[in-house]
Amino acid sequence: MVRVAGRGAEEVAAAARERTDVPVVDVGSTGVPGVEPLVVATDDGRSAFYANATPDDAESVASVIGEPTRALPDADATVTHDETGALPVPDLDGFSGSRSVLARCGWLRPASADDYAESVGFTDAAADEVVDAAGGVLGRGWGDWNADEPAGALWEGVRDRDGSPAVVVNAHGNPGDALLAESDPFAVLEGAAHVARVVDAVQVFVYVSETDERARDTLEAAAAAYPDFPTDVAVVEGPSAYRAAEPTMAIEAVEGNHRLEARLRPPGPEVEGVFGEPTVVHTARTFAHVAGAVRGDDTSTRVLSVTGDTQDVTVELGETDTVRSAVEASGATDYTGVLVGGRFGGLTRKLDVAPTPIALDERDLGTDGVLEVLGSDACPVAFVGRRSQFAADSNCGRCVPCREGSTQLSELLRDIYDGEFNEAKITELLRVMESTSICAFGRNAPRPVRTGLREFRDHFEAHANGECPSGQCLVDADAEAETEAEAATL
Amino acid sequence: MSSQEHPHAEFDVPPLTETIAPGTATDPDVKSAETTTLTVDGHEVTVPEGSTVLDAVEEVETDEYVPALCNYDREDIGPRSECRTCMVETNEGIVPSCSTPAEEGLEVSTDAEAASEARDVNLDLVLSDHNLRCTTCGKNGRCDLQDASIENDVEEPRYGVFDDRDAYEPIDDSSDFIQIDRNKCILCNRCVEACNDVQVEGVLRMEGHGQDTRIGFQNGAETMEGSTCVSCGHCVTVCPTGSLVEKGLEDAATLPIPGFNQKNSVGKVIESSDVEKGPMTPMKADQVTETSRETGGDAEERQWP
Repeated sequence: MVRVAGRGAEEVAAAARERTDVPVVDVGSTGVPGVEPLVVATDDGRSAFYANATPDDAESVASVIGEPTRALPDADATVTHDETGALPVPDLDGFSGSRSVLARCGWLRPASADDYAESVGFTDAAADEVVDAAGGVLGRGWGDWNADEPAGALWEGVRDRDGSPAVVVNAHGNPGDALLAESDPFAVLEGAAHVARVVDAVQVFVYVSETDERARDTLEAAAAAYPDFPTDVAVVEGPSAYRAAEPTMAIEAVEGNHRLEARLRPPGPEVEGVFGEPTVVHTARTFAHVAGAVRGDDTSTRVLSVTGDTQDVTVELGETDTVRSAVEASGATDYTGVLVGGRFGGLTRKLDVAPTPIALDERDLGTDGVLEVLGSDACPVAFVGRRSQFAADSNCGRCVPCREGSTQLSELLRDIYDGEFNEAKITELLRVMESTSICAFGRNAPRPVRTGLREFRDHFEAHANGECPSGQCLVDADAEAETEAEAATL
Repeated sequence: MSSQEHPHAEFDVPPLTETIAPGTATDPDVKSAETTTLTVDGHEVTVPEGSTVLDAVEEVETDEYVPALCNYDREDIGPRSECRTCMVETNEGIVPSCSTPAEEGLEVSTDAEAASEARDVNLDLVLSDHNLRCTTCGKNGRCDLQDASIENDVEEPRYGVFDDRDAYEPIDDSSDFIQIDRNKCILCNRCVEACNDVQVEGVLRMEGHGQDTRIGFQNGAETMEGSTCVSCGHCVTVCPTGSLVEKGLEDAATLPIPGFNQKNSVGKVIESSDVEKGPMTPMKADQVTETSRETGGDAEERQWP
């Protein structure tokens, strides 16, 4: 068997098919796009990995596989393994630790129900078994209405309420959710099927960003191929803007509203969700963990995606590991800091923190499963300033503390460049944005600034004195001045 | 509340609301389900079913002033809970009193430091985006924002006023009956709800996001004149500021300084096209409500600083 993983796999796989009768299949991304297209030749309990494979590489592998007398070309990694339904993790840059919820990413044909059935099998566990086995799974990510809380109590509340419950699979925006949607959609859908049975749902909505076409197509194909899905299932698109992943905006998008803004709460979607019915909103990651829990897999692991000034990777860490492993897996060694826990995570230099909600919260870091690396020449003041400006430009516009607060926050940060560093005024505003914004967008938006002030105080003070220790702001300002001077001479 | 909840569902009326698209979220019901007794600043208050914490707050002499600026809560309008100047402390943390159900046994305090700070900061944030030229405003002296600012002892808003930071939008003086000055709009949404949920006209909507959030028209028109407005005037009666005023009353309360009035206060005005109009609702029947869905990602990153 030859597998070709990741984007660009089609062309490479087609080249291999020309040269062999051995099955050559396209599988989803492994979560490590830096090594993809990745050709994996499996024969007799051994898998040989060829990173960044070209069609020529694939041809040379295909031309010898299945021929006992001829050796495979030298591989970038080789793993001896049992016949398994999971990717044998190779010793290649970007792979880290063992994989549970990501196990099938890059190994199964994403839209093949047979592959999934053969690998782990579909279970139609009774509702009580699902609650017992998976009720303790914590919601993953800011798109999950039950983030960092055990899911079981939420499901039971929805089940016990009058109405026609709905289940929303929020696969919008987060790279870990997108990876599962593209590479192991059946695990996501199986988790949703379990929850749909628990709450006796009448409809499952799978919500994706309009720009994640691959996730959308794969989920649609998997939903169509799913054996005996317990309810109607529809894949729905929303705008790609970051805010559109907020759980109540996801519901607004599912309902077809032409403009998205956050709903008031409480009560939350578990009481009045899609078309006023009790609704469960979890991320794709949460549902994949639910499916794993019902199978008896370990569900304490966390899916973390690394981005920023490094190679993008998505890895899975155990709760005894630290986020440093994920950052190292991305290849980043020299960095100013890392924004831990999503677009509005916490900025830190100390990465010896477990990826669990409790440990992250103790350090005022986020739990959204994204680590954004600031390269060694990045300026933390400019970084949090731009992030504050992003909050001002990208909020839904509904509530004053978020809409006007993020605008004023950006202005207060700009004032630092003019020598006015009014920390008391900044922290007062951060407190009020956090405590009075309607949704998690505005409540989390202050965190990059708050943690940045704590971790990089000297940089803020230097900027107030007209200096940028990293040199970045001055370079930018000089370049801008030059551009303006050039424009003036024209 | 949105039009999707057909406020008159119990009556046999034609489905007037199905094309209405106000652009706002369908909020859950945030009122109490039964009669409840709670404590506000030590006073015990009993409020009927369908009450919020603010209803209880308004029943007693509170220790501190709670502006609740954007609250209207009459005639199917509100709570929008956008201004967050009604924050109070409870045993469950600080909450917006206008949109928190009155819950049995809740202990509410208006003078807790965090709630007090939140009300002050949020009121100043509202002012930061408001044209504060009160002397040329027809609502001078009968303006909810002015009243709240005076009552809250605002002397110098900590984030300044609109004048300090941005370009003014032109005053829309194109309609014969209603003038819009968006520079005074606090986005409380009362006019949108009056127009859609009470009058079922489907003219006004909330549009945009971030700093571009504004009151616009469902038919996509740029001016009041080009909208499907029937000039019923309900939006004007619910507007808390001088953002929507009846023509003829724009200068009802301005100071009589020669040459200085509401219309020339920001220097830019959209005038009527002076085209002869037919009956009052010429555009309503033949203009389809525009409901194209929001698409696209976030804005490009701006220059920093």
